[in-house]
Amino acid sequence: MHIHAYEKLWLALSIVLILALIGTVTYGAVGPGVAMVADSQSTIDPAALDEDERFSEPRVEQVGENEYEAYVVARQFGFQPDPIVVPANSTVTFYVTSADVIHGFEVVGTSANTMVVPGEVSEITVETDEPTEYGIVCNEYCGAGHHVMQGKLHVVSQSQFENRGGDSA
Amino acid sequence: MARSETARADTDDVGGDGEEFDPIGTLTLIGIYFVILVLAWVYIYFVEFLGRDLVVVG
Ligand SMILES: [Cu+2]
Repeated sequence: MHIHAYEKLWLALSIVLILALIGTVTYGAVGPGVAMVADSQSTIDPAALDEDERFSEPRVEQVGENEYEAYVVARQFGFQPDPIVVPANSTVTFYVTSADVIHGFEVVGTSANTMVVPGEVSEITVETDEPTEYGIVCNEYCGAGHHVMQGKLHVVSQSQFENRGGDSA
Repeated sequence: MARSETARADTDDVGGDGEEFDPIGTLTLIGIYFVILVLAWVYIYFVEFLGRDLVVVG
């Protein structure tokens, strides 16, 4: 079969492109460790969050050396705690659930972004850098006050975090 | 169409690698598109996506 030289080139470049796309995504997973939001958490009763160990008192807790967990409740129309205060240069895992309808949890301008579904707990782990402040928005339409549903994520220095004076909730 | 191509292939293609139809302009255009596509992908993935704060690692 005769295949034109240009067509051979075209086929080769197409294969190169496919391999490059797969390669970069593989690099992202292996190198920087990019992960997807997994369905790893068990379900929860959204009507009984006040009896839940993690979500009755939304907060940030230290769970290891330089490791923190943030238990966040989204409800019409805000996030608790507000602000969410986490230390700089640490690993923070957010556990986010909803008390009512589907919300979004998007730390603006970052890759921290997940749906928040009543009955489910969304788990995302991130690494913080320098102290800074981020906004948080709900990016799933959730009712009449959706457009005002926002929160704050404050990344503070380790010493400031330890001196934050009890609970920021 | 088919008949004329067959006819030309019979006569012109005997000599070997010489192509009777070389759309060099199309090749150049596709080459430019290819370069734009690769640069855009590198920018979107490595600069915009991996360069953001709070990369999700778990
Ligand atoms: Cu909402």
